Amino acid sequence: MTRRGLIGRRVSQVTAVMLITGVGLYAIWPWLPFSRAAAPPRTIIFYGFSILEEVMNQGVFPAFQEEWRARTGERVEFVSSFAGSGTITNQIIMGVPADLALLSLELDAYRLSEAGVVREASWRRFPDGGVVNRTPFIILVRPGNPREIDDFAALTRPGIGIVHPDPLTSGGANWAIMAEYGAGMRGDPERPGAGRDLLLGIWKNVVAQASSARSARTQFENGFGDALITYEQEVLRDRERGRLQGEIVYPKRTIFSEHTLVVIDRNIDPVEQELIDAFVQFLWSEPAQRLFVSYGFRSVDEKLNAENSFFGWIQDPFTISDFGGWPRAKKEIIDGVWKNQILQELNR
Amino acid sequence: MNFQPAAPRARPRYRPMRTFVPVSTLLLVLLPLLLLPLAAVFVFAFRGGLAAFWAALTAPDAQFALRFSLLIAMVTAVINAVLGTYTAYILSKYRFPGEQAVGIVVNLPVAIPTVVVGTSLLLLWGPIGLLGRWLDPFGLQPMFSPIGVLLAHLFVTFPYMLGTIKPLLDELETTYEEAAYTIGATRWQTFRYILLPALRGGLFTGALLTFAHSLGEFGATVLVSGNLRLRTQTAPLYIFSQFEAGNLATANAIAAVLAVVSFLIFFFLLRYTNGRKGS
Repeated sequence: MTRRGLIGRRVSQVTAVMLITGVGLYAIWPWLPFSRAAAPPRTIIFYGFSILEEVMNQGVFPAFQEEWRARTGERVEFVSSFAGSGTITNQIIMGVPADLALLSLELDAYRLSEAGVVREASWRRFPDGGVVNRTPFIILVRPGNPREIDDFAALTRPGIGIVHPDPLTSGGANWAIMAEYGAGMRGDPERPGAGRDLLLGIWKNVVAQASSARSARTQFENGFGDALITYEQEVLRDRERGRLQGEIVYPKRTIFSEHTLVVIDRNIDPVEQELIDAFVQFLWSEPAQRLFVSYGFRSVDEKLNAENSFFGWIQDPFTISDFGGWPRAKKEIIDGVWKNQILQELNR
Repeated sequence: MNFQPAAPRARPRYRPMRTFVPVSTLLLVLLPLLLLPLAAVFVFAFRGGLAAFWAALTAPDAQFALRFSLLIAMVTAVINAVLGTYTAYILSKYRFPGEQAVGIVVNLPVAIPTVVVGTSLLLLWGPIGLLGRWLDPFGLQPMFSPIGVLLAHLFVTFPYMLGTIKPLLDELETTYEEAAYTIGATRWQTFRYILLPALRGGLFTGALLTFAHSLGEFGATVLVSGNLRLRTQTAPLYIFSQFEAGNLATANAIAAVLAVVSFLIFFFLLRYTNGRKGS
């Protein structure tokens, strides 16, 4: 080997070693003893369904951190994960260390109690039966509404492409099915099959199924379909900021989704009990409920809802209790009609 | 894919006239398949301007995800460098019944879908898993913690080290080894002073390949990590969450960084292997 080759070799060896050391140092930095923050903070592990991400990370968590610090002087750290309600329910059943979970539908809370993770109906001990906030289901269409969609019925026209989240993993998808079925049923109360017909007509046109309401919206924004059925909250905040690429169509009849908080007692260290209880209480307090309203959720406290002038008006709103609650609706409508009749008919 | 340090070999000379058509055909094929998709990542990463890119990159969860990914990739590379070399040594130097079966099993992770790796780890170590159920009462829980992520990465990247070392060991002339044994060297001494120096290039490339694969691992990690931000969220999981949340610019900022890191890794690999060819 020539002398120059040797020197070049040395140089590249030294560069490689320096590079590896540099990357290693960068990677391990936060875990080095001297770079740690002084007092280890207390931690709350929170799992939430997909559309909660902004309001929790930007609004509720910081507000509670401030309140707790003012009260006790301690720092609270939130470790969180957001995905479809069904996905996080499965994760919790598999044993993720969640302290609390805000689920998009009570049905997932029932699944947790069936799996023995929480006591049956333990969420009912909280205010409003465990419901933290609500939002109606709406239709999002392309700017200018080129396909002239004015209600759920218009979605059954041939040639319309609908983006719908997947009921297997998404709570929002289950709400959407109830909205579609309920709108049909209430629109023509005399005819027994009206709900089923509307649901079938809509599902004939579903062109994409995403794992959560949030990812369904991402698909829609990437150009899939003519209409998206989703939470009002999901699109409202962007519309307020003038960033919404599309228009909200308010159906005459639609469901209000109700989002249930569960506390996974077996994952909570007795030392943290007081902190968790305080956070649970905080979720129903006026400051937190105001935050939900400002991020487009409807508060469980009706008088706060007047504060957000962007909320649309719905002629005939309904809730899951109109169907006798989630366990019954799941059996009779989600499984009985959607899964066993409509999916069969569509051959999916 | 072959990053073996190859024997010196005559390379054809550069002839512009003869080269133009085949090379431009290759580039035309690569453009839509590889180059444009990568370009799109960078375009979206920088669409909000440099300040937005920097803000996305320095967000605490993004920083955590990047560091955590690099750390896991390094530990994975080191552990699998040792395990892979040991496996290669055993498979290459010992003959035993069931040898072929072991050879197949250690290469399986290449073929098994990573999602299946994740589920099987959960069903073994998870709180309701075969072994995990006995650990759970003691408060030991490998899943949904960095250990779980590491286990998944060790599994998924196991064959890469083995794949680079074993052919080298197989091809190595046995004369020096035999000479070492005749003058009374132990197996360890022979390995340390005869084989290891010959394997250095392979160790380097194998470790880099393992590192690169670990850095990009998604399917198994998403299941075993619980996807907890600031705890177990790796860079690819962060990218996916941000993409799902519709934050394309944030997702692509991190994606761009990962793409650059991978580019650097393979740049070093190629330079290294070419350097060996030249010397």
